[in-house]
Amino acid sequence: MNVSRWFAWSALSVFLGAGLAGCSGGDKKAEDAAPPKESAANESPAGTPEPGEKEEVLLEPFDPPTLAELDAKAQWEPQPVGDTLQMMRAKQAKETPLVSVEEALKLRNTSPDLNDKILSVLGRVATDDAQADFDAVINRHSRVDVRSTNPILTSSFAEIDINGLTGFGMFGFDWNLEPLATSETVKSWEASKDRLYDKVVLRDDLTWSDGKPITAHDIVFTFQTIMNPKVPVPAVRAGTDKLRWIHAYDDHTVVFFHKESLATNVWNVNFPIIPKHVYEESLKKDVTLKDSDYHVQLEDNPVCGGAYTISKRTRGQEIVLTRRDSWYMHNGKQVREKPYFKEVRFRIIEDPNIALLALKNGEIDEMELNPEQWRTQTTDDEFYRLNTKASGVEWTGFQFLWNLKTPFFSDIRVRRAMAYAFNYKEMLDTLFYGLYQPSNGIFYNGAWMAPTNPAPPYTQDLDKAEQLLDDAGWQDHDGDGIRDKEINGKLEKFEFGIVVPTIPERIKVCTLLKENLAQIGIICNVRPIEFAVLQEKMMNHEFQAAFGGWGTGSDPDTSENIWGTGHERNYGFYSNKEVDKLFDLGRKEFDRKKRGALYAKIHELTYADQPYTWLFYRNSFYAFNKQLRGYTFSPRGPYHYGPGFSSIYKVKP
Amino acid sequence: MPTTLPSADVHLASAAKQSNISRGFWAEAWRQFRQRRLAMAALCYVGFLVLVALLAPAIAGTKPVVCRYKGKLYFPALAYFNPAWENPIFFKDRFRKLYPENLKKKDPKSWAIWPLLYQDPYRRIRTGEWEGQPENPSGDKGRPNRFNLFGTNQEGIDVFAQMVHGTTIALLVGFVSMGLAGAIGIALGALGGYLGGWADMLLSRITEVVMCVPTLVLILALIALVDKPTIWHMMAIIGCTGWTSIARLARAEFLKLRESDFVIAARALGVGWPRIVFRHVLPNALAPVLVPITFGIASAILIESGLSFLGFGAPPPNPSWGTLLNSGRQNMNLWWLIFFPGLAIFLAVLAYNLIGEGLQEATDPRLRDAGR
Repeated sequence: MNVSRWFAWSALSVFLGAGLAGCSGGDKKAEDAAPPKESAANESPAGTPEPGEKEEVLLEPFDPPTLAELDAKAQWEPQPVGDTLQMMRAKQAKETPLVSVEEALKLRNTSPDLNDKILSVLGRVATDDAQADFDAVINRHSRVDVRSTNPILTSSFAEIDINGLTGFGMFGFDWNLEPLATSETVKSWEASKDRLYDKVVLRDDLTWSDGKPITAHDIVFTFQTIMNPKVPVPAVRAGTDKLRWIHAYDDHTVVFFHKESLATNVWNVNFPIIPKHVYEESLKKDVTLKDSDYHVQLEDNPVCGGAYTISKRTRGQEIVLTRRDSWYMHNGKQVREKPYFKEVRFRIIEDPNIALLALKNGEIDEMELNPEQWRTQTTDDEFYRLNTKASGVEWTGFQFLWNLKTPFFSDIRVRRAMAYAFNYKEMLDTLFYGLYQPSNGIFYNGAWMAPTNPAPPYTQDLDKAEQLLDDAGWQDHDGDGIRDKEINGKLEKFEFGIVVPTIPERIKVCTLLKENLAQIGIICNVRPIEFAVLQEKMMNHEFQAAFGGWGTGSDPDTSENIWGTGHERNYGFYSNKEVDKLFDLGRKEFDRKKRGALYAKIHELTYADQPYTWLFYRNSFYAFNKQLRGYTFSPRGPYHYGPGFSSIYKVKP
Repeated sequence: MPTTLPSADVHLASAAKQSNISRGFWAEAWRQFRQRRLAMAALCYVGFLVLVALLAPAIAGTKPVVCRYKGKLYFPALAYFNPAWENPIFFKDRFRKLYPENLKKKDPKSWAIWPLLYQDPYRRIRTGEWEGQPENPSGDKGRPNRFNLFGTNQEGIDVFAQMVHGTTIALLVGFVSMGLAGAIGIALGALGGYLGGWADMLLSRITEVVMCVPTLVLILALIALVDKPTIWHMMAIIGCTGWTSIARLARAEFLKLRESDFVIAARALGVGWPRIVFRHVLPNALAPVLVPITFGIASAILIESGLSFLGFGAPPPNPSWGTLLNSGRQNMNLWWLIFFPGLAIFLAVLAYNLIGEGLQEATDPRLRDAGR
């Protein structure tokens, strides 16, 4: 039944230098700059190759064996194929609602208890089609416009939201971030015993929005397009490039050939698909997929493989998606469940205050709230007249990044001093209204890859901080009240700049750091920079310290490019040979428990090294119209997983 | 001004009223200005703002204005003007910017004179810092109260303290940028107007080119480029782009005056042109130029507030009026974040405009008489 599968290409860590929407102020750079995958530098304009990207041919020719040969040696093992909405129904069938619907709608969400009550009722997915209003329209809030409606050019959350509904995909993952193939499009999925091959059989009742069938050849074509170095694919190439080859044995059978036997191969098979018959010819004339007249037209009117098509697009204002009958009907028969909404409108409103006003007036049906809005602006009758709100734990951590190649932060004692200097309590209680939890390392406490007994988060201790700085040689030698140290014969002052996106909340955290460091004789200059420039500076390592965050990937391996020596998103030059080795081992280990132990070790090692000062986890806070039901939260928020948005429906008025 | 040759019409105008001694142009202007009540009130208000800016650390702060510590006198409050002026002894003794408690603890015999209000424009006051004063409320709880006269912002920083310390920025932006603009504008206008010919041609074209440069865009570009953008950069840009109207007025004035009798007389005596320009013509050309400078100060204050409002102002934490407005914009329920700084900006801009108008009327006999 499920409408939008959350494809795994939206599953990797996201750099939240600006974050999704949990921030106040005029930050249009926010989501717009949160590429789902690989380097955050994907913000560079189309056509500019990413730094470190290979310019040579990405795909060597390959001669696939025949299916019979493959079947003989592969020892196929079945892989999970399912419907996450059904799975959610099965899960919720065992849970009992804590209150009645009427009570839940009257509740004011002021405590975790009440939040649980609200979610236990309003978060229930529909068990019967009679519950849902299939003629309903939902107005969703989007902070920024999309740059492209072509699924393989996706790079920001706004684009993921649109393409998740209009695009065709075979794989997804559930609320525990467990991968699976979706039964709406896939008949069977098998992997070889050594995990070097994946065989997928597609259903034969799939069509594009122009009526042509969706076949295995579309998948092969898309793969080759993504791997065409001339095509400016901003994000989805990462992971996909770990594939050796894809071959279509017939219209419905497709086999993925992997380069290595890795636990992460289940994620690599996963990328958005575009129609071969639409792009095959035009690609030869215009590799940008954007510039030619034909492609410009397709941008506004793409041929879609998902449950919705784009019916109207007004740049900077709204994008209207309409339910596609040929998605759930085939040859006059219903073959898939009917998506709940007749129309999904994405209203683009940059300013969070204006968005909140629109929500209170019923012009939009949902939006993400920042802590200030949650605590102080959504507590009155005016808000509860039409809406209610809910929150969930999210694995999105924020931290100070130190550049380890600077004379200040190359010393571990200085980094530990930083961790002791910061006033975490003030940040959590005052700046974030007591809504966020402290963070103590790269993996979320309680997640399977996090250690069972993690080191507790740091607390402020200025005496320890000063002691560590003294030990590291940063003392006030020249008697001007500022710490300094002799480096290469010159007395260097401890004065550094911290870069931060121009978002009030983030700037406040940095200002607090400045205040704390001033107390112990260190000058910290807060430098808010526009997000695109910030990204550029981070990529080029042109910063001394930075404030930012990482959203969780669906697999811990996705954070290798943040921690591995010399990796592209390792902005601060962190390097630990043991960590590198553990990532390598983790990728090759198939046993979940043993894998978890390896990543837990990485967690502990990085925490001991303190290349970041870990600060807090940002939870999800959302407001929903009272007519909406079926929202549940995952570590990636209420939408970006399966079933996610597709389980949400409106009750009949 | 009596040493210069007064311009003819002013001389006649004053002579008509005062038969005995001629009062001189500036004295007359001042007499006229004084008679304008609104303008005088505005001038007094600006004087008051200057006083507030100078005494800011003594009005609201967390550092003693004067203290005696371990047998010596210190002035820690000066650190609000320049962090380097805070004596390093307080760092060495690990005061950590918390004076009340540490002064007593580390030297029981110490004494200190404190600012009128124990509040800081940069940080929240926490429990126990000052005897009998609770911690600053944060979030939406910070309505004006006994300890926070104008309330607190979302982070719990006192609005009154921020406004008092923000006065410095508001005044500096006006004076420095328009001082710079005035210097450039008058110099170029004077040269162009007096020399004429190709020099005038060239300078006029340069003026026109600069007029086309959008100040805001330039400031935004600068913030992205400069490594450590400060309020001074902003002032420099406002100054370097805001001189064009001043230059035009100065040029027109010089074109007129260089043909006047006293200039011809000076030239006939063999006085060199720089001396004629700066000693004889300039003082007589200043009056009309002062008016756009005053209006310019007002608009510079507005530009700074506007930039801070948009979040592109001086680097944080800056207690500027516009920054306060910006934090008020995020939650309209916190009216005190909008009302007080909004009022302050309004009054300051109004005051400069009134002064400018008064000046215009006081120095231009035609307007002066029309006003009667």
